[in-house]
Amino acid sequence: MTQEDLAFYGEFAPKLQEIENLLMREIQAMLDSISADSETALAEHIKCRVKSAESLKEKLRNNGLPETARAGLENLSDLVGARVITHFVGDIYTVLELIQQNKSWRVITVKDYIANMKPNGYRSLHVLLNVPFGIGGIPDIDVEIQLRTIAMDCWASLEHQLKYKKHIKNTALIVDELKRCADEMASTDLSMQTIRDLIQRG
Amino acid sequence: MKVLYAEDERQLSVAVTEILKMEGFEVTAVYDGQEALDALDNDYFDAVILDIMMPKKDGIEVLETMRKNGNFTSVLMLTAKATVDDRIAGLSTGADDYLAKPFAMKELIARLNSLIRRSSSYRHSTVKIGNIELDSNTCELKSDLGSLRLNNPEAELLTFLIHHAGTAYTAEQINDLVWNGKESPEKAELYVFYLKNKLRQIHAVVHVRIENDTYALCEGE
Repeated sequence: MTQEDLAFYGEFAPKLQEIENLLMREIQAMLDSISADSETALAEHIKCRVKSAESLKEKLRNNGLPETARAGLENLSDLVGARVITHFVGDIYTVLELIQQNKSWRVITVKDYIANMKPNGYRSLHVLLNVPFGIGGIPDIDVEIQLRTIAMDCWASLEHQLKYKKHIKNTALIVDELKRCADEMASTDLSMQTIRDLIQRG
Repeated sequence: MKVLYAEDERQLSVAVTEILKMEGFEVTAVYDGQEALDALDNDYFDAVILDIMMPKKDGIEVLETMRKNGNFTSVLMLTAKATVDDRIAGLSTGADDYLAKPFAMKELIARLNSLIRRSSSYRHSTVKIGNIELDSNTCELKSDLGSLRLNNPEAELLTFLIHHAGTAYTAEQINDLVWNGKESPEKAELYVFYLKNKLRQIHAVVHVRIENDTYALCEGE
């Protein structure tokens, strides 16, 4: 958290950081329980973050909510978020099972945008969790874990750039091409999964 | 449907143009070979009717130039003398069909429609089964719930399985029938597994059934 973020979150800041650490620790432990060997590790990497004050304020503004940390905590679910990047599609569902078995939180919903991709080609699996909070009269908050393959992550980061860049030539062409790339990458992800299954079956 | 009609006999040209327009064609009439080439440079047509005997450039020359320039629009050649040599000259230059003068208007329209139907079915060929369709140009496989891009051998295999849905094939047969034996049974097996997973991913209501080392595309998820 930056100086600005600490100032914005105020009394909630330490607890948010604690939840961020909890996510990181629990996810790492779950992954290690399957394999601690980097060759066969489930995840390529894990990222956790507390939403920056600037981006939270913008989201609150867009939702017509007061621009305070409390409004965010009470209404939004991505103040604390984690992302798990896997090598293979199948690993996403293995991690999902581990998340569902973990007692540190309660799973609220699972949105599978891999099985049901968004129209622009976006693919990921989003798990909404509820964790105890207990600061300032807020008993619990929702946090989100996103699971995706390296290919999906690469695609999403490019698509993110498109979203935040206002003036781009040939936007329609870029949107079409991104969708085509997403479909090709998803196809390759499944080919790789199939090959891995065959290799493991021997 | 846009048709270019090159014919130097004015009266015939007027009559044919009017009838084609009544049939719903959009006709551009030109009166010699050079005009025909200019029109082809400036516009897109679904089919071209070329009289073989024309001033400046004859039908054969126009056709040769078109094909040399990479224009593969369907061409119907009109031959005045219905000699075998004339017909062969037209067809061997790359005409898609010919009609001997004098011709019945009905036959011209029927042949024109058949040419256009054939070329457009090459341009946009999609194969469909259940809730899925495969575009053979782009290899895009989609259902109402998702889409993926296949590679060429996958698309060829799926096209084959769709056309022969319900029939079971061995990996050897797939290699022979789909790829003319140029790949291998091992590749056929792997590609069947690819398709199995990919069809499932887009929620297809057809699936690849694997039974006793045979593979078939079947109804159901």
